[in-house]
Amino acid sequence: MRSRKIPLVVAAAASASMLLASCGGGGEDDGATTGTLDFYTNKAAWEPDFDELNAASESRADITLNTTGYSDAEQYDAFVRQSFRTDKSPGLFTWQTGPSLAELVEEDLIAETTDIWTKAVDSGWVSTDLRETYTYDGKQYCVPMNIAYWVMYYNKNIFAEQGIEEPTTWAELNSIAERLTGAGITPYYQTSTLFTFQWFQQMVAGTDPELYEGLSTGEVKYTDPRIVDIMETWLDQEEAGWFSDAGSTTDPAVGLKQGDYAMINFGSFFNGSLDGAGMVSGEDYDMFVIPATNPDLEQTPVAVESGPLCVAENSSQKTLGLTYSEWWMSPEAQTAWSEARGDVAFNPKATVADPMLEELGTTVASDDYQLYDRYYEATPTPILTVALEQFGAFIANPGDPMPFLETIQAEADDYWAEQE
Amino acid sequence: MTSDKATRPKAAKDPYHWSARGFIAPGVLGVAVLLYVPLLWTTFISFTEYNGLGDPEWIGVENYVEMFDDPAFLGSVLNTLLWVGGTLLVPVGIGLGIALLTWNLKGGTWLRLPFLIPYAVSGIGVAVIWSFILGSGGALDQALGAFGFSDTPRWLVDAPLNTVVMILATAWQGVGVNALLFTIGLQSIPKEPLEAARIDGAGGFRLFRSILWPMLRPLTAVVVGLSIVASLKTFDIVQGMTKGGPGRDSETLALTMYKETFVNSEYGLGSAIAVFLTIVTLAAAILYLRQQLSSKHEG
Amino acid sequence: MPSKSTAPPFKSTARVIRTAVLAVLGLLWLIPVYLLIINAAKAPETFTTTHSWRPTDFSLLSNIGEAMRLSGLADSVLSTLVYAVVSPVIAVLVGAAAGFAIVALRLRHGFAWFVAIFGGTVFPLQMILLPLFDAYSRMNLFDTRLGMILVYTAISIPFSAFVMRNFFTGIAHNVFEASVLDGASTGRIFFRVYLPMASSALVAIFILQATFIWNDFLLGLVLSQSDTVRPIVTSLAGMQSTYGGAQMSTVLAGGLLVSLPTVVLFLCTQKFFSRGLALGQY
Repeated sequence: MRSRKIPLVVAAAASASMLLASCGGGGEDDGATTGTLDFYTNKAAWEPDFDELNAASESRADITLNTTGYSDAEQYDAFVRQSFRTDKSPGLFTWQTGPSLAELVEEDLIAETTDIWTKAVDSGWVSTDLRETYTYDGKQYCVPMNIAYWVMYYNKNIFAEQGIEEPTTWAELNSIAERLTGAGITPYYQTSTLFTFQWFQQMVAGTDPELYEGLSTGEVKYTDPRIVDIMETWLDQEEAGWFSDAGSTTDPAVGLKQGDYAMINFGSFFNGSLDGAGMVSGEDYDMFVIPATNPDLEQTPVAVESGPLCVAENSSQKTLGLTYSEWWMSPEAQTAWSEARGDVAFNPKATVADPMLEELGTTVASDDYQLYDRYYEATPTPILTVALEQFGAFIANPGDPMPFLETIQAEADDYWAEQE
Repeated sequence: MTSDKATRPKAAKDPYHWSARGFIAPGVLGVAVLLYVPLLWTTFISFTEYNGLGDPEWIGVENYVEMFDDPAFLGSVLNTLLWVGGTLLVPVGIGLGIALLTWNLKGGTWLRLPFLIPYAVSGIGVAVIWSFILGSGGALDQALGAFGFSDTPRWLVDAPLNTVVMILATAWQGVGVNALLFTIGLQSIPKEPLEAARIDGAGGFRLFRSILWPMLRPLTAVVVGLSIVASLKTFDIVQGMTKGGPGRDSETLALTMYKETFVNSEYGLGSAIAVFLTIVTLAAAILYLRQQLSSKHEG
Repeated sequence: MPSKSTAPPFKSTARVIRTAVLAVLGLLWLIPVYLLIINAAKAPETFTTTHSWRPTDFSLLSNIGEAMRLSGLADSVLSTLVYAVVSPVIAVLVGAAAGFAIVALRLRHGFAWFVAIFGGTVFPLQMILLPLFDAYSRMNLFDTRLGMILVYTAISIPFSAFVMRNFFTGIAHNVFEASVLDGASTGRIFFRVYLPMASSALVAIFILQATFIWNDFLLGLVLSQSDTVRPIVTSLAGMQSTYGGAQMSTVLAGGLLVSLPTVVLFLCTQKFFSRGLALGQY
């Protein structure tokens, strides 16, 4: 009998807690413009860099970041989503552009940054192209924390031994791959978990940027004959032995160092990992922008990834967070950040520490290149999850691409139907 | 009347009624407040559509329908069953073996130590070191290569081999705990029946079957019960080594739940999987424990 | 009264074989530990995965130093130590009390109550993280040591109750009856009779739960924020990610460092498992 009472007691406690939960979250903005700002990030490995930046922000803006790093990106997303309901909603946090940010903006959870952007664009601190990524319904939200271009890294020693130059056309890249395979060297790195999308992204956007755009808006189906053709090309390359063993668990930076493969298609933040693995920038490794698959394209498409720095609308530190965001955009902050982190800077007036990254920044800014959003941010999350799995399965066991594409398209159909 | 003062053990109906309640109360309260209340919230969410923002919207059993409709869910269930069977067979079996071998053996406690050390290695360490061993061209392949076996399978890519090797990696970590629990069981066995059996000339396997095994039952129930529960919610090692891939080949139920909740922000669907997993686990545990425990000691 | 000294149950040749089997198996078990150590000792700049079995150089200390610098590990040690000691101690006592109530005091519907407590372990921890975070931040328990101790205690109780309940069923009920005849109260019987008899089980539960808490990553990640409250493994995990950060050998070195205290704990508590129980004292 008593045991039957257990659920009752628990149910009572639960309804009490739900009552609590229904009282909305968030705190009053305390209006402070100086002091300690609580900052949450999913780039936990950068925590020491943010701490280093505090020296500059303390003296210039009188704001100190109190950084909490989350090493698990998925747990982090859930934590931030939940925090909007509590009085812990963050004064400053990192997020993803694309549909994930749109979702928060639609719920009115993000503080507007239009004024900050207007000032930054007027001062020539940031390009109008980048502003587009942060614009929703004509207003801006968040500021860019980091920016990365997806390029091809290569082992310079291998290229030198084989007498290979950086390719300028897709055909040259293919002949390099053939030549390396002939010499018993695997040309490209690949993995069957998480980073499974980049080659697909590269070939689709490099064939036709509009086709790529269509995939992310649902106008183009994954089973479109043009997409199937691209997958067939990928399959041919897999069968020709152009890609590394999908079962390898070696860290990609170490793999490139020890010559497991000659090239890796990765974001420009990869310099940090390669340096850490003991390779010297410009000596042991270098990078090139991957030529477009379709030689008739006027501009070479380059995938760009940009991580925003956002302020919660209902945070008690909203004013402080926005004050910091404004400072963040300045050349002074960006130069200090580039020194601490060693990454590409979005602000052309900032000084970049690594000459290779400096050069990359100038190259892609020219009219010969066209930036497009990385597949990871451009694709709605449910479709992305399935696509990453399916590309992973394809990479592990390459075969007829149709079943993989059909599975992705089934999820896409569901998703777009729900959006109606 | 206070039961504490009762001096007649078989008096009245239940002289320790209140005393017993007092002893169990802290345990029940702690678990109820910190674990069951959040679980009820999860159960509520499983009947709603919720993305972590705004308010949950009641949709009835739709999430459950969607869950059973998904062919990948079935694969997940099968993998989870493989984990349950595998962990009962390997870590429990070896754990019992080690406990018996070290029992009453001079230096036995020290010989047991190597099996306990892996338990001390943190989860991050375990996933990293086993990826390192099992990856293509990794430590295992290098060792096999040295003995002339070069054509090794892709341990972490080919299904269901990847699940099998991950079960073995889990066994590596879990055997010591099971051995320790069995050892405690062996220690609680009274000496008289053992002496008597030995005087009768019983040794080895007969001694084990007739005396040790029946007397180990309470602790066997612990080890098997924990093993079933732990294997049904296998998550860390799979997330650390294959992330359920390639595709969804090595996904377990806990991983499917995690993906829906944390990756896709489908809190309702994720919660539905969690509820399903909880019911299955509880049912398995009750069925097993009822049979093992209630016959002898309680009414 | 049975004699305390127990004659070895098997003959000496069998002992040798047993020792040999255990030694071989034990060495096999230590192979991954060996790989962990030698690879944690390799300098990140020269680290490769092509010669996993051979030690190449000894940079263990500098790797450990780097791991501590990157993760702010030093700040976490004290609070993690508090969690790993306080929570299991409470949980062991609470669990033993529950087992005592069910077995010795023959609590009515004991099995149902037992299942109610044990049920606390059956669902995946990931599912209760978000409601816990929500509740914690409303009750000002988020990012406090008290909050961490509470949650660690709660998740350790079911295991502790399970083991203690089953351990106590191995003790004849007349032990309890004899104590009652001596005029002891239930509290006294619990603390003076049952707990001492269960010392090896209590120690086993303590070290297993302390290790579990010491190695916890998930609860620390969601329920804490500041360096002084965050447990050690959560801090450690922070230094590794796709976006740069620590190299493999640094991660391994950090993992090794974190594991050391638990290995020492195992070493120190071994003597509790060396002998059988003296059950004949009543």
